[in-house]
Amino acid sequence: MVEKEWEPKIVAFCCNWCSYGGADTAGMGRFQQPASTRVIRVMCSGRIDPLHVFNAFLEGADAVLVTGCHIGDCHYVNGNEKTEVRYKFLEDMLQQLGLEPERLHLNWISASEGERFAHFIRDVTAKVKELGPSPLKPAGVS
Amino acid sequence: MVAVGDMLVGYATDGGVRKRGASGGLVTAVLAAALEKGLVENVVVMKHINEFEAVPIITDDVEVVLASTGSLHSVPVNLAKYAVGRKVAMPAKPCDAQAVIEQAKRGMIDLDNTYVVGLNCGGSMHPVTTKKMLVEMYDIDPEDVIGEEIEKGKLIFKTKDGNEKGIAIDELEEAGFGRRDSCRYCTIKIPVNADLACGNWGVIGDLAGSATFCQVMNDKGVRLLENAIEAGRIEVQPASEKAIAIREKVNTAMVNLGNTLEGKILTEIPDEARIQYYLDQMANCIDCGACKEVCPVCACGEDSKCTMFHSLVDDYSMSMYHLVRLLHLSDSCIACGQCSDVCPSDIPITILQSRFAIPAQRKREYTPGMNVDETPPFFEVILK
Amino acid sequence: MTEQETNTENTQKEEPRIGVFICECGVNIAGAVDCNAVADYIGTLPNVTTAVVNKYTCSDAGQEEIKHAIKDLNLNRVLVASCTPKTHEPIFRACVEEAGLNQYLFEFVNIREHCSWIHMWEKEDATHKAKELVRMGVARAALLEPLQSNEVPVTNKALVIGAGVTGMQAALDIGDMGFQVYLVEQGPSIGGKMAQLDKTFPTNDCSICILGPKMVEVARNKNIEIMSYSEVTEVDGYVGNFKVKVKHKPRYLNIEDCSGCGLCTEKCPIEVPYTEFNEGIGTRKAIYVPFPQAVPLRALVDKSVCIDCGACIKACERGAIDMEQQETFSELDVGVIVVAAGYDVYNPEPKHEYGFGLYDNVITTMEFERLINASGPTMGKVVRPSDVQPPKRIGFVQCVGSRDKNSNIYCSSFCCMASLKNAQLIKEKYPDTEVYIMYMDMRTPFRMYEEFYNRARDSGIKFIRGKPAEVTETQDKNIIARVEDTLTGEIVNLELDMMVLSVGAVAPESTETVRQILKVSKAADGFMMEAHPKLKPVDTTLDGIFIGGMTQGPKDIPYSISQGSACAARATRFLAQGKAMTEGITAVVDDDICVTCGVCVPMCPFQALSMEDEKLKIISALCKGCGTCMAACPTGALQQSHFKNEQLLAQVKNVFAYGEV
Repeated sequence: MVEKEWEPKIVAFCCNWCSYGGADTAGMGRFQQPASTRVIRVMCSGRIDPLHVFNAFLEGADAVLVTGCHIGDCHYVNGNEKTEVRYKFLEDMLQQLGLEPERLHLNWISASEGERFAHFIRDVTAKVKELGPSPLKPAGVS
Repeated sequence: MVAVGDMLVGYATDGGVRKRGASGGLVTAVLAAALEKGLVENVVVMKHINEFEAVPIITDDVEVVLASTGSLHSVPVNLAKYAVGRKVAMPAKPCDAQAVIEQAKRGMIDLDNTYVVGLNCGGSMHPVTTKKMLVEMYDIDPEDVIGEEIEKGKLIFKTKDGNEKGIAIDELEEAGFGRRDSCRYCTIKIPVNADLACGNWGVIGDLAGSATFCQVMNDKGVRLLENAIEAGRIEVQPASEKAIAIREKVNTAMVNLGNTLEGKILTEIPDEARIQYYLDQMANCIDCGACKEVCPVCACGEDSKCTMFHSLVDDYSMSMYHLVRLLHLSDSCIACGQCSDVCPSDIPITILQSRFAIPAQRKREYTPGMNVDETPPFFEVILK
Repeated sequence: MTEQETNTENTQKEEPRIGVFICECGVNIAGAVDCNAVADYIGTLPNVTTAVVNKYTCSDAGQEEIKHAIKDLNLNRVLVASCTPKTHEPIFRACVEEAGLNQYLFEFVNIREHCSWIHMWEKEDATHKAKELVRMGVARAALLEPLQSNEVPVTNKALVIGAGVTGMQAALDIGDMGFQVYLVEQGPSIGGKMAQLDKTFPTNDCSICILGPKMVEVARNKNIEIMSYSEVTEVDGYVGNFKVKVKHKPRYLNIEDCSGCGLCTEKCPIEVPYTEFNEGIGTRKAIYVPFPQAVPLRALVDKSVCIDCGACIKACERGAIDMEQQETFSELDVGVIVVAAGYDVYNPEPKHEYGFGLYDNVITTMEFERLINASGPTMGKVVRPSDVQPPKRIGFVQCVGSRDKNSNIYCSSFCCMASLKNAQLIKEKYPDTEVYIMYMDMRTPFRMYEEFYNRARDSGIKFIRGKPAEVTETQDKNIIARVEDTLTGEIVNLELDMMVLSVGAVAPESTETVRQILKVSKAADGFMMEAHPKLKPVDTTLDGIFIGGMTQGPKDIPYSISQGSACAARATRFLAQGKAMTEGITAVVDDDICVTCGVCVPMCPFQALSMEDEKLKIISALCKGCGTCMAACPTGALQQSHFKNEQLLAQVKNVFAYGEV
């Protein structure tokens, strides 16, 4: 029996107005992507708590994506600016912890940028596949 | 008349207080006067147990204040939480003052009602370690000790028989004794974030050992001193240029030492080895939650994100509790060392916190606990 | 108790009973995802009462199935796995409400745009992913709670900011529907930029001739109160209940007494060499009426040049002048706000683009409009600035300040038609003039526009497809434009007597203040942002605030008027109902855990949070449900209903599984 090749599992937090829309547009444009990513919808990227990102890694995510609207376009005025502040702390912390930086990404994607979303997913999946499973993954989780 | 920015030298008018105090009893007298004249309702002081131990108490009795101990190096407790919800005057090491300000930023302390009399601090030590050190390095019976002081880089103990013995601090620390880890790499030695910054650095000549140097940091500091002067409890005079220069010199030497030791204590870990290092360090955690209880910067109640989303049942590789604390404190940890002190599994939590906090704070050019108007960077609404 | 209230109580007490409906969406989903396999797997999960497959869940039949299942199987949660919630979430929410279930107990999982359509040829992976996505949704659904929206009463008055053609149209429509409108205009007269234009394409109607009657209509409408020479300085509140502060700038005369007769202007000894209305050309007095058709037809004093000689006071037969007049303020209560604050003409001066500001004979379209206008500073004679002589050769340069990486990348949409119109007018008035249009593309999309373009081409206007790379001046102040005609490949040095820059539109600086007061988002092009570019072009993301005309981006007059009416229609929905529903998804705080540290308060861009009486107060009418406050909250006391930490973490947990899926 041939063992199936290991594929990374990526958790993507997407904001309802922009990046979730971007993921939709990628689908509408039929931009094919590897089946690595699981999107979790929030109303605004500002809702994303570093707590959720930790949880994702501890549950077994090989990479976590924090996405939202471009700066200046936030549906709620400036939620994404706060996301940026918190993300920088998260980034510094995970780097200090020794987690490879390719496992955490911040990307602003508008609802019209379907192709860009697809590229992003393909890109991250390929990079993380090379890195292998996350060192924080619990035993027994694929 | 006292003004903000004044550099003064002073002492308690009461001879007994002056003699018993570490250097002139000014701080004790100022605290007593604050209570006496109704500036505050209570005072936080250290109640003397023996030469190595004292406990913080809150009192409304002037006599108790006057009888309180002078500064002891073997008492590392952080006093900030004693000021929460009260109108107090308190003595404060720089880290106590930092914690007070951080609590004020989080609405827990009203700075208008809290008088902070800062004390210079070269570092504190654990009482148990200190007693062991006396036996092993000094060959002195702890019961015989009647006094201690740090002078010119030496820790000197005075014994009942009138003798004294001093050993260089570096020598003690090389041998595994001496100051707590976090004190060694601390670089805030003069409490410029308090209302008054007091200590014995810069007290020279005849007054050496019997007067306190006092820098007036703000309006509340002015009020404290003027109040004590009116009450007849203290006398002050301007400090000489030479005294000011000496104080600055001592401070610079201590700060430089702190910077050097930071490199030795917070050793570089190669990138590939980091995760394993942290996994190993956190492996022995028994989830007692003492580090959170004792943290003087933390304003959360019993239930907060670090506890509510952490569960032993989850069988994660790393503790969610610690990850959240590391994140939430990366902008605000003042490296006071309380967490390492209380950990029953001997996890050097302060060092772990500092590995994240020091780079995060430096990168953002932010020092917690210095100015109540500065927002902790994690709560900024825009990236600066 | 109503059926809904009973159900709500039940859902809070009972175990979750989730009904899962997996849509095949024809072959859109079923083509890549084995929906039956997904349903079988999901059916094995805890809390799932039923898991079925539909061909088209959104169809009537599909919706009926859901409603029946809720009743027959006593479901207290519903999950639909199909397309994107952006399309059908409202439909399904309404569907479950009809069956007696609170709409927030409905969960939507996207297995089409996020799964079947992007893994079209990886069926195994797509099916596996769909199983996991639905599993995540089930875990979340089990934790959902019923939520209520609040009803708030609506003040039945409207505020329209900006009295250009868009604002005027909006005000007329709202006023005609019987509601009172405050029309606030920062200039001394209503009418906006359209009043400055000469003719309007494609009909070449005289602009002020068609606008004037509209302006009079606005003035006569009993429901419209014009506040000219006024600015909005503060806006507080929320939909249905806005409190607006308006500043009335001093004209230094009483507008009730002034009749606009102009005697004061005649007598005024101070003449200044610029005019706002004539785009800087010509002169005006220190006391002046903005233009002959101004509404209100009243004068105003420019105190910066007035010498206080009193000549106007003597001249005024009605004693209207009051040099001591102060600015005053009004406080208005309105239910809805329409922003139609117009645009600024792009200014090519700072970089001296195409020689503007350096060479006398390079002008902008708006300056041209005033020259050719019969009541303009030259009485309609098109003359060139340097020697006041009619130009024999005129060139128009398109896309100045538009479609340009160095200034604005957007297309201003009206400039092609404007130049075609102006070029034609020259040809009509001065047939011997050589007219060139230097362009990149000709954009003439709407009714009669392409025909207009064809007429222009037939009238002898020469089109050069290229923009001048270099513009210089001769000794006679003629303009030499060195341009490549990219269709023929020729490079020509075009000598012109005058050159007109077809400048685009930019968002005016004055609206930036209004935008920030209202907290409307700014779009990438600097204008204000609509809620959805396709489906909600005049709504903003803030309930009760609408944008139209140039405020929503560069456009021409018919489009602006349409948007004015659109804003009126969208706004009047609230006024007519007399009530509005606020967001059901809001912040909630657990006071037992909250330590009132206050770090959340500055996080809210809508000022919905405040500390009062030692507790956190949340004004749910202001809360938009974004959740940015709670990521900061260190205790986790502050939560967003429908997106609580537990709910999100349940989704995260269920991404992963131990063992077979």
